[in-house]
Amino acid sequence: MERILQRDSGALEALYDRYGRPVYSLVLRIAQHPSSAEEIVQDVFLQLWRSADRFQITRGPLEPWLFTMARNRALDFLRLKREKQRRREDSDSDILPSAIVRPDPEGDIDRSRRAEQVRALMTSLPEAQRRAIELAFFEGMSHSEIAAAMGEALGTVKSWIRGGLLRLRESLGETSS
Amino acid sequence: MITCEQLALLYEEYALGVLEGKEREELEAHLARACPKCTPGVAKARWVVVQLTATAPDAQPPEPLRSKIMDAARASTTPARTAVLREKPKPSTQGAMFPAWAWIAAAALALVTGYTIRQMNNQNEQLAQLRKQMKLATIQNQALQNQLDMDRMVAMVMMSPDSTPLKLMPKDKNMPMVHAYLHPHMGVAITADQMPSMPSARTLQLWFVPKTGKPLSVAIFHPDATGQIALVAPVTMPRNEIAALAVTEEPAGGSPQPTTPIAWMAQVN
Repeated sequence: MERILQRDSGALEALYDRYGRPVYSLVLRIAQHPSSAEEIVQDVFLQLWRSADRFQITRGPLEPWLFTMARNRALDFLRLKREKQRRREDSDSDILPSAIVRPDPEGDIDRSRRAEQVRALMTSLPEAQRRAIELAFFEGMSHSEIAAAMGEALGTVKSWIRGGLLRLRESLGETSS
Repeated sequence: MITCEQLALLYEEYALGVLEGKEREELEAHLARACPKCTPGVAKARWVVVQLTATAPDAQPPEPLRSKIMDAARASTTPARTAVLREKPKPSTQGAMFPAWAWIAAAALALVTGYTIRQMNNQNEQLAQLRKQMKLATIQNQALQNQLDMDRMVAMVMMSPDSTPLKLMPKDKNMPMVHAYLHPHMGVAITADQMPSMPSARTLQLWFVPKTGKPLSVAIFHPDATGQIALVAPVTMPRNEIAALAVTEEPAGGSPQPTTPIAWMAQVN
């Protein structure tokens, strides 16, 4: 961050090389629209570049900030798209092409192990509980929207999400400790 | 009143963006006053929640994206400021007009005549000077603290999952873009860089433009000495009634209704 504050574009390149791929994967999963995902990722990295001094004030770690920002932008896009669809009742003809997946030789081992752990935990959850968390994370739905979408009681959905997140917290806490 | 211990169970739900109602309001109130337990707790929860990214299918970003980002970043970099060369003071030639002994004698005479009075006044002057410096330092410190608090609020609104980012496009293409982040509870954050300086008799004024009815004044503001804007103003209108955000230039103190054409605008809904 210090190097970004000093307007060292090499630092931004390094940051993009490290996080560009997972950030793009997240945004594409949410937005389901490659050209928009590209635009959102560009916007997120440029905001980091422009607002590095303000980011310093929060004194938080970079990774959650970057991914939270990317997720927010993608969810905003998704909400706007849904709103437009509702208004126009148009069908969106832009179909998600299959993403090109390549091996990631630069991947951080810790990050990769953590990702594996999260995937394993999510797989171990009952299908409905996993679905509820995915609807919240990737679709940006609230408790009540998830309850309506899944046809479940609000209390049940709250309990699933809270339980799943606490398990995730404990699991990752064990890793980091 | 919900305690920090009770809120600790909700940090991840907040970070995920599903927390609603009173629990959400309570937690945001703790965050707004930089609660020493909840602030790091939510920061950790954000880290936990973003790990769910791992469940998204891996996708390779298009090759040109990297260079597009880098080109845009380099283009947005403020050009280095030109150093101001200062002229060296010219050596005085006045000394050559009088002999040195005359200067010494005059100085000694002045010292003798003024010594007693100066001794008496000296301490009072020093004290007054110190008081003045302390007052100035207190004012500067308060201003810095206010700026820091405001920057912290701006950062919080910018980072909140509930904030909607908006780009206020300038009508004048030579003007920079203004960024807004609309949060339903914490307010609307406005940021901009490289804004031109404004005369003190004029101000910028932010408006909520409703779907029906007259614009509502939100805030008046000036770019700082470096051309930056960073402020948070309260949201005084339900979000679903706001059609657009607009900025106009107004006389100092602002106007009840816009008196000049819109200089920046973003559609909200």
